[in-house]
Amino acid sequence: MSSSLLHPPSHLPPATALKHSKQAPSILANSPGAIATSTLQSLLSASETAELWTTYENLLLSCLRTGDDESAHQCLGRLVNRFGDDNERIMALKGLLKEANAGDDNATLDVILKEYDQILQENPTNLPISKRRIALLRSRGQIADSVTALISLLDASPTDAEAWSELADMYFSQGLYSQAIFALEEVLVLQPNAWNIHARLGEMLFTAAKTSDTSKQLAEALKRFCRSIELCDNYLRGYYGLKLIAKQLLNEPQKATKQAESGEFSLPDSATLRKLDEAATEKLAEIVRRYSAAEKGWQGYDQAEIAAAQQVLQNETEATVR
Amino acid sequence: MGQLPVQTIHRDPQLFYWILFPITVVMVLTGILRHYASVLMATAPKKQDQKTMREQRSMLHGVATRNNFHVLSAPSFRARRDYLTNAYESGAFLKNPDQRGQPPPNPMTDPGAMDGMMGMMKNNMAMMIPNTLIMSWINAFFSGFVIIKLPFPLTIKFKSMLQAGVATKEMDPRWMSSISWYFLCIFGLQSVFNFLLGSENAASQMAQQMGAMGPQAAPQMFGPGVDPDKQFKTEAENLAVVEHYSVLDGVEDRLLEGIISK
Repeated sequence: MSSSLLHPPSHLPPATALKHSKQAPSILANSPGAIATSTLQSLLSASETAELWTTYENLLLSCLRTGDDESAHQCLGRLVNRFGDDNERIMALKGLLKEANAGDDNATLDVILKEYDQILQENPTNLPISKRRIALLRSRGQIADSVTALISLLDASPTDAEAWSELADMYFSQGLYSQAIFALEEVLVLQPNAWNIHARLGEMLFTAAKTSDTSKQLAEALKRFCRSIELCDNYLRGYYGLKLIAKQLLNEPQKATKQAESGEFSLPDSATLRKLDEAATEKLAEIVRRYSAAEKGWQGYDQAEIAAAQQVLQNETEATVR
Repeated sequence: MGQLPVQTIHRDPQLFYWILFPITVVMVLTGILRHYASVLMATAPKKQDQKTMREQRSMLHGVATRNNFHVLSAPSFRARRDYLTNAYESGAFLKNPDQRGQPPPNPMTDPGAMDGMMGMMKNNMAMMIPNTLIMSWINAFFSGFVIIKLPFPLTIKFKSMLQAGVATKEMDPRWMSSISWYFLCIFGLQSVFNFLLGSENAASQMAQQMGAMGPQAAPQMFGPGVDPDKQFKTEAENLAVVEHYSVLDGVEDRLLEGIISK
């Protein structure tokens, strides 16, 4: 069993998901379907591990992605055998499988949505199901309903970082930047060292600054990218954002605005900006070079992100030549 | 000085089969039985209703904001602080907003609290009853037997511990009585249970006593008899006195000095 099966599969590139899904029949054949509960048998057979069930869950998700419904059903069957029908997480997985089988059939999806409502009426604290309901609403394009449901979920459970980040994503897709930024800050309050969230917040601030054009937001975006690099060396998205912002600020220097009110961030001077820009360029070039040379320990970057970095570097050199 | 002659006591080899072995077997079996009894008696954790969950998580939200305020910029932190302190002081997150200011209910009458106490009672009973029974069984049948000689020398202080029930003044402390063997089994069978039942077994009372000491702080926060309104007020005060600084202050300089220049 590969170790990547133990990580949540939503971030895996499609190729890995496909690989997992292809392994599914052999994994299912080799792993025990049920675990003996009596002492004598557990002395003889392999003991139960949490990893086994995580593997089944992730395998289920990977199989759904690649359309291997039969293996998905088998995985779910084993999970149900172990945890029972009324486990909240299992209920959500079952709903997911049903949604996947329904495809684009609106009538079936309506039925599933009604089932979710029914479950939530009986037990409003069933978080996995209410999250499924929100995701289903979103995927059907009912963003407003989805946001309302998500907000009421967050009112009941404000320590759910996953939900806050989903909310941020939804607001961002609707162009409501300040709300999105608020939600993402909430994620950071709960997970203060998540460098990817720092960088994502930087990206949102950068985008927001494009429309409303305030140097305050640009300054914070710059600082967010710096923080994400500080937390994670060689973080490509951090360097990429840093590069973009530094370049923009150098090209069109912001007028020194009136002294900001207390505690607001101000832009660093142009010497610092230049240094940051150089450092980011250098690092991006190093990452691209080492990635393309297939050096060990420098793989695992997203191909699209590498391509984007290459593009930026190319533009830079062209500009210099000109 | 002449060396003291080694004390020898002629013991019947049958003592081994009829005392040492039965005590050990009985101890192991009771441990296993206790494990399964506590598994059977364990009640599933009760589901929280939505309002309780909201109350507790809002509390935790405030704690998280107070601990991690440094990731926020000053205006965002001020906005959150104002909102949270207001809501905390007005009792917006309370489960029963009508009961503010009233003394907390008696934990004896609160059914939720009773469950927890019953659980504790059951655990204690599962520990005490078998121990009392076995001890009286050993006292009734095997008291006063010297059963083994330890293979290492001991000081005189151990005499009272190892020779409980044998009132012989001159005997070497290396000789062990049956009741001492019983105590040794209580403390020493942990690894046997780990092997038989897995590491999270409930067989050994030692582990349970340790567990009772450890994670007391977490459930105590929302335990019975604690007034959530008071907790919210305390939290609001804690939030109000936070002196804000941001981790983003001067992050560029840190970055240029540290990571990049490396």
